[in-house]
Amino acid sequence: MTGAAILNGPALWFANRGTGFVLLVLLTLSTMLGVLSTARVTSRLWPRMLTQGLHRNVSLLAVTFLAAHITTAVVDTFVDIRWWNAFVPFSGTYKPLWLGFGSFALDLLLAVTATSLLRHRMSHKPWRAVHVMAYAAWGMGLIHGMKMGTDAATVWGAALNYGCIAAVSVSVLARFGLLAHSRLVTT
Amino acid sequence: MTATIAVQSAARNDVGLIPKVSEGPALLAGITQGPGLASHRDRLGPAPRPRAEALVEMARDVDLRGRGGAGFPFAIKLAAAARRRALVVVNASEGEPASHKDATLMTCAPHVVLDGAAAVAHALGTREVHIVVPSELPSLRLIVEKALRERAKAGERLKVELHDAQPWFVAGQAQAVLQLLAGRENLPVTAWKPEAVSGHRGRPTLLSNAETFAHLGHLARVGSAGYAAHGTADEPGTTLLTLRGDGWDPEVCEVAFGTPLADVLSEAEMTQPLLLGGYHGTWLRPSQLSGLAVSRKDIAAAGASIGAGVLLPLAEGWCPLVRTAALVDYLAGQSAGRCGPCRNGLPAMAEALRGLVHRGGPAGRVEELCGLVTRRGACAHPDGTARLVASMLARFPDEVDSHALGTCRGNRREVFA
Amino acid sequence: MSEHLLRVDWPACKAHGVCAELLPEVISLDEWGYPIVHEPVNSDVLALAKTAVKACPTLALRLTQPPPRPA
Repeated sequence: MTGAAILNGPALWFANRGTGFVLLVLLTLSTMLGVLSTARVTSRLWPRMLTQGLHRNVSLLAVTFLAAHITTAVVDTFVDIRWWNAFVPFSGTYKPLWLGFGSFALDLLLAVTATSLLRHRMSHKPWRAVHVMAYAAWGMGLIHGMKMGTDAATVWGAALNYGCIAAVSVSVLARFGLLAHSRLVTT
Repeated sequence: MTATIAVQSAARNDVGLIPKVSEGPALLAGITQGPGLASHRDRLGPAPRPRAEALVEMARDVDLRGRGGAGFPFAIKLAAAARRRALVVVNASEGEPASHKDATLMTCAPHVVLDGAAAVAHALGTREVHIVVPSELPSLRLIVEKALRERAKAGERLKVELHDAQPWFVAGQAQAVLQLLAGRENLPVTAWKPEAVSGHRGRPTLLSNAETFAHLGHLARVGSAGYAAHGTADEPGTTLLTLRGDGWDPEVCEVAFGTPLADVLSEAEMTQPLLLGGYHGTWLRPSQLSGLAVSRKDIAAAGASIGAGVLLPLAEGWCPLVRTAALVDYLAGQSAGRCGPCRNGLPAMAEALRGLVHRGGPAGRVEELCGLVTRRGACAHPDGTARLVASMLARFPDEVDSHALGTCRGNRREVFA
Repeated sequence: MSEHLLRVDWPACKAHGVCAELLPEVISLDEWGYPIVHEPVNSDVLALAKTAVKACPTLALRLTQPPPRPA
């Protein structure tokens, strides 16, 4: 296949949708691992360092998929998404509102990633204030995915979306509900 | 001892009683003439303004120690702070409930303290002086404000700011005071550098107890030789003591170092256990008191420390274990709650002590907790509490055994009900 | 002496316990989950100590040099 064929064909669009779903799963996993971190869940077979290490690696992997997701969207000529639409929320021409949710999520994730890579060079409180926005980034990314394409209407698409919502909800409720009484579990 | 005179200290203990104050040989010399500036200047002349090097040398000559409880050599602190953009902080917050010497100084002889603060500020080349006053004694603040107005009218050019400390035990801790100055909660935080090196806004901060500044002012005025007119050759000078500070007959007095304890306490009190140094102090058995003098060396040899000059003889008929358990209950409640070992360890210690007192529970658990809380906090609150408890276990093993058998040698039978 | 001290910023420590997992030779946890630092850090475990400092979720662990003894 020639380069032009790739750009004009549906391949990039499939790649964009694929990276989108993988991204959702990875961000969901990362969020759950983050909640697990605060809950100080640990056992002999699952040290705290494992939660922390997984959270970091899953998040970094998510960032690479995020880059791929954006690149495929911008490079694809089928829909007119310019590179700056990815960073400036609601600035696009194609479904600006729902695309904007995605751009907002990207901006938040950029802030979270940058501060986390520089965690030791900043004081803890501002780092944490930015990091908590990851929850919002997850939510906005989820809504972006549900509203942007048609995959949410399919059985597998809906299952993935609602599955991710359930997973994060259960984690958060478990952490801030059930485990909140534990005197060791301070935020 | 000179007879006590009806001088009104604004201090008030938790039972609402105002301590008796007697005139003293140095710091409390002019209190019968009232706290006004005019009589102060008549008696003593203008405020001394020595240079930093001279002040450091004098402080070193007489081995001037801080009077806030830690007894840190003041010369070292002053030398460390003698750099650009320093500031002076007079700590009169006196968070220890059984101590009233600072409140007495600030209300009966404020200019003695302020002369010292002004001398240090001048030596450090700064005009910035902060004074931390206890918020639970509003009359003290009024007296200090009046004294400052008198000084301003007399031409003193200092930028003085008053701060109200919270009525907490730990509110007077150095880092807690710096937090108060920075507009944050008046509680301790971790310090990576001493405040004389890097304190308020990173500046060299000379933070000391109000009585320390009083001594400095006196020292700057009379010189090392004059300062040594009282006290001993090893320990020149005087110090303020608070007797029975949280009890029914509180008193503040000034004694020269080397004064026998028997001259300070009554005959009856010399036959009772003594808690020396305050709520973070150390117990002494009656047998240890007879030869003892008000001397850092003597007291250290007896395994105690003079602390903030608080003497708490055990009231007759009382039991030192019961007294200590009540104190630890109070101290546990006064934890800032910021450091895990203290927030968890002190209440656990209080419970273990209650168990020991009431049901003869294991002393081992109490000892374990003392070890767990020491040097594991942002401030010395847990360490001081552990020290109090460890001294109780060390000095009164017979009482501990009695309680294990369900009797109390102080006849506090009700604790076993 | 290249001896370092591990110091805890106690108000920042929230008992996550990651430090004790990484450096059990030097750090153990008390009954409430807070670290007990048993000894100074020698060159054998220095690298691990640095990792522990980086891994603390609240940045409550610091590696310092002991102050020089006054002459």
